[in-house]
Amino acid sequence: MQDNAPNPRVLLTKSFIDSHDRAIATIALALRDAAMEVVLIDYEQPEDVVTVALQEDVDIIGLSFMSGGQVETTQKIVAELKRRGVDDLPLVVGGVIRPFDVPPLEEAGVREIFRGGAPLADVVATFQRLAKAYRGYA
Amino acid sequence: MAVEDSAYGRWQQTVAARYKDRSFVARNRSGVEVEPVYSGLDRMGNEAEMPGQYPYTRGIYPIHYQYQPWMDLQIIGFGLPSQTRKRMDLLLEQGGSKGYFDREAYNFIFDMPTSMGYDPDHPGVRGSIGDCGISVCKASDYEVLLDGKDLSKTTVSLVLNAGSPAMLGLYLAAAKRRGFAFDKLGGNLTNYIWDFFGHSGGTNFSPRGSYRLIADIASYCAQHVPLWNPLTISEHNICEAGADNVQAVAYSIAAIIAVNEECVKLGIDPDSVVPRFGFHVRYGENFFEEVAKTRALRRVYAKVNRERFGCKKSGSLQARIHAQTAGSLLTVQQPLNNLVRNAYGALAAVLSGANGMTINAYDEALGLPTEEAVTLSLRTSQIIAEETGAVQVSDPFGGSYYVESLTDEIERRVFEIIADIDDRGGLIACIESGWIKQQVSAAAYKWRQEIESGERTMVGVNKYTTDEPEQYAVFKPDPEAARLAIEDIERHRRDRDAARCSAALEKLREAAVEVSEGRTIGSVMENLVAAAEADATLGEMQAILHDVFGRNK
Repeated sequence: MQDNAPNPRVLLTKSFIDSHDRAIATIALALRDAAMEVVLIDYEQPEDVVTVALQEDVDIIGLSFMSGGQVETTQKIVAELKRRGVDDLPLVVGGVIRPFDVPPLEEAGVREIFRGGAPLADVVATFQRLAKAYRGYA
Repeated sequence: MAVEDSAYGRWQQTVAARYKDRSFVARNRSGVEVEPVYSGLDRMGNEAEMPGQYPYTRGIYPIHYQYQPWMDLQIIGFGLPSQTRKRMDLLLEQGGSKGYFDREAYNFIFDMPTSMGYDPDHPGVRGSIGDCGISVCKASDYEVLLDGKDLSKTTVSLVLNAGSPAMLGLYLAAAKRRGFAFDKLGGNLTNYIWDFFGHSGGTNFSPRGSYRLIADIASYCAQHVPLWNPLTISEHNICEAGADNVQAVAYSIAAIIAVNEECVKLGIDPDSVVPRFGFHVRYGENFFEEVAKTRALRRVYAKVNRERFGCKKSGSLQARIHAQTAGSLLTVQQPLNNLVRNAYGALAAVLSGANGMTINAYDEALGLPTEEAVTLSLRTSQIIAEETGAVQVSDPFGGSYYVESLTDEIERRVFEIIADIDDRGGLIACIESGWIKQQVSAAAYKWRQEIESGERTMVGVNKYTTDEPEQYAVFKPDPEAARLAIEDIERHRRDRDAARCSAALEKLREAAVEVSEGRTIGSVMENLVAAAEADATLGEMQAILHDVFGRNK
């Protein structure tokens, strides 16, 4: 059967003060190679992420963390998604995610956590699956 | 040819003059005498260059570790200044923190807000305070961090990004308050504002503003803080952002060229500032390539500074290198493997003749290092230095067909990239056009695809994998650090002489405009020190510099 789903639109983002962008830049290229449309930005306030996600009409948000803010920032973004009535928009997190970060991230509703060494193929497949499900194509 | 006219003869004379009657001959396990350096003919059949001789391929000193071991600089910093101070005391107790000439040495890393020049109460940074580095935003923080330390016998390395200029202001103001003369202060500011190779987003200054500020700081330090190193060009960071070794060496040299061109444009003699510039180089990915790239970097640096900029001082031609093992190669999977990776990286650095060393902690892919992991990094260095015998001979790979050939090839390719950048209008133009960033991202992606396909092996990640339970201790930063840091800065703002502080900030703005418009140089740094002395905070000074020098797009 032909897959009529449009190409997923993805927002990838990390904090304006975190200079470690090798991973997120690499993920962006991998998602583009998989025919997704990728918006890659820095955010200054966690709430900005939601504003951009709505403006760009994305199907999924990916957050990257290398140096702090993993839990607090994610919680704020989740709260803002709820406030603006889009709490079903899937959120995935990647980077240096420490064991003690995992329970609060899962509790916040993060759909998937990718740590260093996660195969790109898995990352791409997860973005595909979650984005399609959000649009009702899966 | 008379002996004294040969490279070897000149080397012998230098060694005799510099080290008097001291012998550097060692004996190995079997009692065989080992010379401090070996030589012969080079690949062209000419007499080989000796260590300490232009263009310094074989090292910048005629006698290296046999006389002066490398400086161990473990990265240190988390939470509040008081918390980092406890870790410093532990490291000192373990035999770390050793600088040159019996100084204590500390390699401070700051949390991301500080690194980028934001105060802890800046909106949107709260989750990162004290996480992955120390939170420092005012001169008085150094009174806690370095309480009781004799700053004329302490070398500090301040590792940070866009916040660098203002941070040096804080440190110098703190030293001044405690009565230390600037000409006795030794240390290093990484001043990563030159770095547009990785990501610096909108927190860095505009590329042109950044290079102007570098010239300002270098010229101020040359005049007032002559033992201070105001710039570290980090080949390491360029590699970590994804560039390959040839690209990283070439871009490092291109950054030096851009700084020197800025200095020349402003009437600063390169020989007055260049001797205080240094490099930070990454090790741990390809053993022989890294030895060769170090040798090529020293050679290219010497040639560029002498031939392109007419530098004459030997210090302007000698690349001092601080080595660091590669953090991006540390794996979450089977983290103890990282100890082995780090040891090979450190060994490559030693056999390259690096001058300083940071060995990462094996657990850094999991989180901030634990005390046990930090101690093991130090032990790794100590084992190489004191057990392996690797330090008995300088440039032990000199004359190796493989390493010499690779050194020449890296040099050739580096000069090709430099010529390409020149053709594109120079480094700043290449940054502004986005070309540089695109080159680095493409190299990073290619590397990752090689891991995906299995063409490149990462043990425990794409080969020899195991399903192991997570059982490693991970350092947990203090969740209270943010609240305490914010309370502290609020108290600081209430208690200071507000009029004096505002006046100093206004003078900083005036000086910044003058420097930005090219009418003077060195007075931004002078006024950063004055503003910090008047209790201005890092973020307040940064806001003014951003205003005047522009933000990166």
